Amino acid sequence: MADAAGGLAGLAAARLWAAAHYPFLASAIFAGQVVPAPGIGTVAVDPGWRLWADPDLVATWTVAELGSVLVHHVCHLLREHGRRAGAAGVAAAQARAWIRSADAEINDDLIPAGLELPGDPVLPAHLGCASGLLAEQYFAASRAGVPADRPGSAHHAGASWLDCGSGADGLGRSWQAGGPAALPPWQARLLQRLVAQQILAARQAGNVPAGLLRWADDVLTPRVDWRRALAAELRKAVADTAGAVDYSYRRPSRRATVAGNVVLPALRRPVPDVAVVCDTSGSMSDDLLAASLAEVEGLLSALGLARRLRVLACDAAVGAAQRVSSARQVTLAGGGGTDMGAGIAAAAALRPRPAVIVVLTDGYTPWPDGPPRGSKVVVGLLGEQAPDAPAWARAIRVPADAGR
Amino acid sequence: MAESGRGGRQRAAAEALGVAVAARVPVLLWGAPGTGKTSAIRAMADGMGWPCETVIASIREPSDFAGLPVVIGEEVRFAPPAWARRLAAAGRGLLFLDELSTAPPAVQAALLRVVLERVVGDLDLPPGVAVVAAANPPEQAADGWDLSAPLANRLCHLPWDVDPLAVADGLAGGFPVPEVPVLPDGWESEQHLALALVGAFLHARPALASAPPADAASAGRGWPSPRTWEMAARLWAAGGAAGVSGEARSALVVGAVGDGAGAEFLAWLMEMDLPDPEAVLADPASFRLPKRADRAYAAVAAVAAVVEADPTPDRWRAAWQVLGLAASSAPDVAAVAARVLARCRPDGVSLPAEVRLFAPVLRDAGLLHG
Repeated sequence: MADAAGGLAGLAAARLWAAAHYPFLASAIFAGQVVPAPGIGTVAVDPGWRLWADPDLVATWTVAELGSVLVHHVCHLLREHGRRAGAAGVAAAQARAWIRSADAEINDDLIPAGLELPGDPVLPAHLGCASGLLAEQYFAASRAGVPADRPGSAHHAGASWLDCGSGADGLGRSWQAGGPAALPPWQARLLQRLVAQQILAARQAGNVPAGLLRWADDVLTPRVDWRRALAAELRKAVADTAGAVDYSYRRPSRRATVAGNVVLPALRRPVPDVAVVCDTSGSMSDDLLAASLAEVEGLLSALGLARRLRVLACDAAVGAAQRVSSARQVTLAGGGGTDMGAGIAAAAALRPRPAVIVVLTDGYTPWPDGPPRGSKVVVGLLGEQAPDAPAWARAIRVPADAGR
Repeated sequence: MAESGRGGRQRAAAEALGVAVAARVPVLLWGAPGTGKTSAIRAMADGMGWPCETVIASIREPSDFAGLPVVIGEEVRFAPPAWARRLAAAGRGLLFLDELSTAPPAVQAALLRVVLERVVGDLDLPPGVAVVAAANPPEQAADGWDLSAPLANRLCHLPWDVDPLAVADGLAGGFPVPEVPVLPDGWESEQHLALALVGAFLHARPALASAPPADAASAGRGWPSPRTWEMAARLWAAGGAAGVSGEARSALVVGAVGDGAGAEFLAWLMEMDLPDPEAVLADPASFRLPKRADRAYAAVAAVAAVVEADPTPDRWRAAWQVLGLAASSAPDVAAVAARVLARCRPDGVSLPAEVRLFAPVLRDAGLLHG
């Protein structure tokens, strides 16, 4: 309802405070419907963009504090902490730890940007973590156990605790009955995109916290999981070259003799060979390479091609092709300069000739002018900083955190 | 929580499936194995009393869809298989293509004409036949293939997610059966309106008219092309005629043209509902503040933004009049726009009376200096 001030003193001023200090979040701040809920002892959100607020508690806060709580809760909704809690497998017993992790994800760059939350807001330092991580990472760290000697790590155990509600942990609350209609999920998704666009539009002004900018980028251009992208490119390369089980009229079917006048296609199943060229120059990270190679290997065994895999280690010179049965057996021999062209040429010279060549590299290498004849090339670029691969190859970017 | 909670997404997907079948738009359900896609589709056909021909694409040959080439004298005929003859004889029914994503590429190519034009070999299936398909995401089916981009572009893609709580309810009390709504006579005339909307949207965002996917992973899902936009318009009109939830209508649009383009279109539609800021400035007394606070904010912020871009004294004063109307019901919303207007005051224009309305809330928020 537009008369949001209804029943809650200071709400209009608090929303104005929030919209004035965080203009790029204004649409989200006004989208939250505040519902007075006497006796719940907190201000909590639900996934339908309703904020249930205890008037007695709110009366003890300043306008800036209430405004900050609105901004904080709106960020829970924008960052979909409720849905993510379900995906992270948060049970009721861990809900509190999860909410603290989600709080840390929001607060780590909004508190420096002037958020004045009441009480002692959770910061990554309280969880024994560095700033700028995701709630899932804070949650994993808090489950692993907070080191006791960190300053402030115990500070929250007994501190005044405010339940952020089901919008933060995805678990229902007793007070979420009646009230105004919830925002339907599809409109919530549109709202999320709208806010992301407004945040990016405000980028020029230069006062948007970096964490929110990153969030907005991820919403508008979602990052495809590199494993999925790599799998799709590999399957396509294998399918294009071989057609693992495909039909052809090139040769008549063996069943044609019994089928009278019907022309039947034959089944053909050429099995493609796959070669992996690994960059082993000094600039490569072992963990990242092992993670990527394990992924390639897993995909090929799913396609029934694992025994056809040959691995070449390559820096400026090419190591002998190793036949491996597990990614861990690959020895990174190299060091020194890099030339993937030599690696690709060596892979193409293998007999039987590989139909698909997978190159795992950090991208700092000269490339040949075109793909080798008769082979498709899929390039895994390891690390965000990797320069682009040539246009004739299909390239997948593997983020630097994949190796962890 | 009623509409967003338990099984809300699944119910919306079932509603969307019913609308797509009613509108005879080919539809594809994506979901993990064992989540009840096949049984939902069969139950839907039973509920309608329609014949349902299930064809598992992954164990078929291309000739099962393109027709078996038979040499008769001088010519080759493409003989349709029995399931196609049965559907043609019945005049209506469901053609259910199961396991679409495990069909080899040659079979997918043969399916192109079946899915969109309902042509099997030399036989045309009657217009009463609806095409429904189901598939497992390639990462969940070991021998799966990504759908080829041309086949993906002929289908409306609906996610078939399983909500654990809905499964718990379903095991005890039976799973809901998707219903095919009866579309009122003449609903297709609504389609022209929807096409006009899509046309106006593409006029504003020409880059979204056709955007083939760049990578193999996203090629297997919905993506914008003239064909899918037309499909989206048909589904939007059918969803409106059937009176289904907004959730289901949005799933249909997004399923046809893909996530990004679909969301842009839906956001544009919502923006269309807001009053035109120039019209409001021409006649400020006519302004009605939208009920929802975020829509109200969008409306007054749009008025303030067009005035800021061209602050003539008349427009500036008209904008204050608009804010004066908004101030009584939503002082905070209007005050945000008032701050924008205060910044772009034209030279020599005195402050209007409405300014005083905002003093209390601005003071409370600590934003009134001096």
